[in-house]
Amino acid sequence: MISRAWLIPILPLAASLVILFFGREREDSPLPFVGIAAIGASLWIALRILFDVALGTLALPYENDWSWFSFAADLKGHPFILDMRAGVLVDGAAAAMLAVVCLVSLLVQVYSLGYMRGDAKFKRYFAYMSFFTASMLGLVVSNNLLVTFGCWELVGVSSYLLIGFWFEREAPAYAAKKAFITTKLGDLGFFLALLLTFLYAGSFNIVRVKDVVEMGYMPPFVVTLIGLGLLSGAAGKSAQAPLFIWLPDAMEGPTPVSALIHAATMVAAGIYLVARCYFVFAASPLAMETVAWAGLVTAFLAATMALVPYDIKRVLAFSTVSQLGFMMCALGVGGYTAGLFHLTTHAFFKALLFLCAGSVIHAVHTNDMRSMGGLSKRMPLTFLTMVVGAAAISGIPPLAGFYSKDLILEKVFEHSPAMFGVLALTACLTAFYTFRMLFLTFWGDGRNNERVSRAEESQAVMTIPLLILAALSLVSGWALEHAWAASPGAAGPGAFASLVGPGVAAAEHGATGAARHVNPTVLAASVTAGACCFIALAYSLYCGPDLGAAERLKARFLPVFKLLENRWGFDAFFLALVDIADRVADLAKWVDTEVIDKVFVDGWGVLTRIAAEISHLFDALFVDQAVDGCGYLSRDWVGAGLRGLIARGQVQEYLLYLAVGVSLFAIMK
Amino acid sequence: MTLSHYVALGSILFIIGVFGALTRRSVIGILMSVELMFNAANINLAAFNRYLHPTGVTGQAFALFIMTVAAAEVVVGLALVLAIYRRRDKIYMEDINLMRG
Repeated sequence: MISRAWLIPILPLAASLVILFFGREREDSPLPFVGIAAIGASLWIALRILFDVALGTLALPYENDWSWFSFAADLKGHPFILDMRAGVLVDGAAAAMLAVVCLVSLLVQVYSLGYMRGDAKFKRYFAYMSFFTASMLGLVVSNNLLVTFGCWELVGVSSYLLIGFWFEREAPAYAAKKAFITTKLGDLGFFLALLLTFLYAGSFNIVRVKDVVEMGYMPPFVVTLIGLGLLSGAAGKSAQAPLFIWLPDAMEGPTPVSALIHAATMVAAGIYLVARCYFVFAASPLAMETVAWAGLVTAFLAATMALVPYDIKRVLAFSTVSQLGFMMCALGVGGYTAGLFHLTTHAFFKALLFLCAGSVIHAVHTNDMRSMGGLSKRMPLTFLTMVVGAAAISGIPPLAGFYSKDLILEKVFEHSPAMFGVLALTACLTAFYTFRMLFLTFWGDGRNNERVSRAEESQAVMTIPLLILAALSLVSGWALEHAWAASPGAAGPGAFASLVGPGVAAAEHGATGAARHVNPTVLAASVTAGACCFIALAYSLYCGPDLGAAERLKARFLPVFKLLENRWGFDAFFLALVDIADRVADLAKWVDTEVIDKVFVDGWGVLTRIAAEISHLFDALFVDQAVDGCGYLSRDWVGAGLRGLIARGQVQEYLLYLAVGVSLFAIMK
Repeated sequence: MTLSHYVALGSILFIIGVFGALTRRSVIGILMSVELMFNAANINLAAFNRYLHPTGVTGQAFALFIMTVAAAEVVVGLALVLAIYRRRDKIYMEDINLMRG
């Protein structure tokens, strides 16, 4: 089955083309099932690969590639043929990621059948979804960094199309542009890293680049530059500080799109890229430390920003940014396994939370949590699944988030207790804002009875994905941590580590060489206790029939709230940057039209005309006269003389010339 | 009688023709000289045919054609001469110089 790995991204791609180019746009178009079938087939292949690994019948990494293009190159006078190959590289992380992406995408698409029913662009939506998934899967399996980059950009394009899906309205169009341009800003770094990689490694093949880096053939500062470039790309895609500004606005897209972006396809790409190129970071302590700090700052800032908004999707957006910060921080401190583990579990519970939010929004037709409240009775299934999601993200044992977050905190504590402090606080804040959202939405009757009383539970096509995701959120942490421990391929506890670990065991070991001794149980218990305290705090503030307590708190700490609502001024900062760029552009335009056009271009034109006039005069006075003179000389002087001498009209003279001529030729033989 | 004799005769006739064409004032004389040159050529044709290809008659046949063409040419030439004479009352070559440059 592993030999069919290349089919995994190809199937959804083909499906997207089929959906896009065949059939008519109808409300009950059957074409979405093509996309669902394709992603289902991909999921089946991915799961078979995972099972083969679990049973020990398949050894990863698996690599297979085909010639893509080749060209003649020259290196210091030695010509050679450079054969660019593209193909698949499936290591443990990729195998896990493939399964997660396929699974989440499948569930989201099934859910979308209900959510998008009746939309005027029903068919196109599913074409984009399949294309989005295909891009992400291509990014995951590619063994060629250039192809990875291509898929990376395709992910950007698809997200642009889907965030701006309702482009008739101004806000989604703006949000799509913002997302696209902001991520491009980060991609500049990625592109630079690619150029440096090819310059120093002479190849885009990940395994070969890894060899070059690990053998130490690359100067250390170049490795650091590549690492920072990759981090810049990852920061754009995965919404790390300070490029996270696009993610909250990306909420303007349809909610299942948000679920897909946040759980599996888009933001996971950045984390995955850092994990895929982990050898670069392992070789550069500076880049590694930068990753850790970027993640830490992002996690904390985003968590604080998630405390204040009343838009349910915005809370989830900030929460995603924060969780991505966790993963990034984990990768930065050497917790390769921890970061990927959290990426996997987070995909499940974040998709769950988003789809629950979508279900709620679908029922009450608003994003504003102040207009909700008391929905637990109207939508019991959504309520129960969302409780599971919230508990999972808050790290309540034994749900998925507990295991992964615990692993991250452990790694961070080994690295630096100060960072652990910040991150533990962030974890508690996570619990607070998640349950604040939950309480605002489902508890507290009577805030807006009209909307709530008309709300109904969503249809089965939407609730079944919720139930599946809830089940995964319940057990995936425990299952990934323990279930495979007994399988032949795994040794000891930490089955997920044995899946993704082997490829990077050395790097991970090196990074945590000076490990502090820590009792994981104490750590986990204390963080969980903290989270529970914050949940209780959220209960006391947001659970009443009105928001009196919360409003009083807000009035008391108004400047803090304002700062958080303004997202620590990041948006303002970037807008100021754009403003400065605008001014520079205005100045440049003024220089262009007033100085360059008027002085240089027009001046040059005047000079040219003057030169042309001089040239014309010279032409008329000297050249033309010389030509005319030559003509006159040959016609009226030489010609007239010759005519008088030879051409006298006497036929016999002409005959004589002829006879003499012929005789001369005869004599000369 | 060898080929050389015939060729010599042809050459002498031709040179006489050329001399006449170059020196006669009267157009009639020039026409007659041209006829001489034609006949020199005819003699050559017949002689070469007789000595180089005794079995063939190509040269003789060719000579006959030339005589025919020469006759036709003389008709045209005499018509021209007649037309010029009617117009100018004299047919001296030095007076016919319309092609002077």
